[in-house]
Amino acid sequence: MRPATTSGRAGGPASVQGRAPGASPFLTGEADFLLVDLDRFQGPLDLLLHLIRTQDIDVFDIPISKITRQFLDAIESIDPQGLDHAGEFLEMAATLVRIKAQMLLPRHGDDEDEDPRAELVRRLLEYEQIREISQRLATAELERSRRSSKGFVPTRPRPSLEDQPLETTWEEVFEVALGVEMPDPRDPSHRVTVRPVAMSDKVALILRRLKEVAEIEFSHLLDGVGGIEAKMHGVMTLLASLELSRRRQVLIRQVAPFSELWLYLREGEDDEEMETPDEPETT
Amino acid sequence: MNASQIVEAILFASEAPLKTDEIVRADESLDEDIVERAIAELRAFYDQTERSFELLEVAEGYQILTRPAFASYLERFDTVPRPSRLSGPALEALAIIAYRQPIGRIEVEYIRGVSSAGVIRSLQDRGLVEVVGRAEGLGRPLLYGTTQRFLEHFGFASLEELPRPEELPVVLRERVPLGLDDDEDEEEAPGQLELQGGDDGGGTEEEEPAAATSADG
Repeated sequence: MRPATTSGRAGGPASVQGRAPGASPFLTGEADFLLVDLDRFQGPLDLLLHLIRTQDIDVFDIPISKITRQFLDAIESIDPQGLDHAGEFLEMAATLVRIKAQMLLPRHGDDEDEDPRAELVRRLLEYEQIREISQRLATAELERSRRSSKGFVPTRPRPSLEDQPLETTWEEVFEVALGVEMPDPRDPSHRVTVRPVAMSDKVALILRRLKEVAEIEFSHLLDGVGGIEAKMHGVMTLLASLELSRRRQVLIRQVAPFSELWLYLREGEDDEEMETPDEPETT
Repeated sequence: MNASQIVEAILFASEAPLKTDEIVRADESLDEDIVERAIAELRAFYDQTERSFELLEVAEGYQILTRPAFASYLERFDTVPRPSRLSGPALEALAIIAYRQPIGRIEVEYIRGVSSAGVIRSLQDRGLVEVVGRAEGLGRPLLYGTTQRFLEHFGFASLEELPRPEELPVVLRERVPLGLDDDEDEEEAPGQLELQGGDDGGGTEEEEPAAATSADG
């Protein structure tokens, strides 16, 4: 972001305490002429404090008109896209302008009638203190980071596979390759096997069993199957269950992952009810 | 097997600071006095023999840490994640929470003058602050406080070890803000931070500057 260049202006009518500033890299000559790089500041309070401190201004008697003008000049260059906190700077500007206006109004001597600047002063001092504390914390953090506790140097990690030298030789690979039975490219025939288990059989089985008992555990549907085709029976039974569930003839419930599946027969006479099952179906 | 040896073994093996009462659990022969004495003994011994580590009071407990002078050697182990430092905004927010806890986000933002939700979130992610409750006010906003991890990160023995406001050069507390009264020296300065956190419920502070300042007095 480009540095905000505040142009020198003739002091306004309300400008008081226009004395020469102390030595500051941000001040050139006249007190009204300021070069402020907004990126340096954490926020509007930070900027305001900077303006006050570099000009040796008494916080308890802030020349609000002058400071307001300097603040507005400084934020004039805010790039709305580039600065996250543009809104916050503008809010502070509004506050300053409001205070300035209140200063112009006559004040009564009542106790309740506080100086319009009082709250701002309180915030500035509080913020300044916080800033000081932050610096102390940063110092403590730095000091602590120079000490190490157990576990700082980690146990040596296992070497990754990539780092380990490969001892297999090409001859070994070749030997294995020779043993592989290569398919004959001249024989294009594919062997198609008939599914030993039909889903329709399983659908029928499920419906028949549910006629008898109304609810049944999935595993019981596989009673009596075994051997090499057990897996296929399981798959087809599951597919059949899903199909029946889709047809709204069967309800499948499972209480927890990997627990037993329960199948229930659904009474299919009322279509309305079917549309809104009161229990969530899980598979 | 004397008490110092047992305490040493426990502190040596531990990655995090241990409190006295936790160390006591190691053996029936130990009580808090014995442990405290053993710790003092070990401390003196490490100093006398110029060990590369020392026994320090951290986060309301004790921990064996290397001395700062050896940092440069340990840093050579570049497989170790370097301790990252907190950013300026994060430190500001953390300072406010540390001194004003329990405190809500809105109050942090008011003191800093900038929005702080992201900063507070990252402090939470780092385990330095946590939600400690809810305020009574409108919407029952979350209140934040610092954690044990906060003390460990900065190497503080306890919250008491935080720099006290009266030690800070930034004071200017001889005077009150203008307008309240003319005899300024009698009132307490504004913006004073309380270590134990304000008991003022907050919430309406923004609208009532007078109430906020008088709450300090």
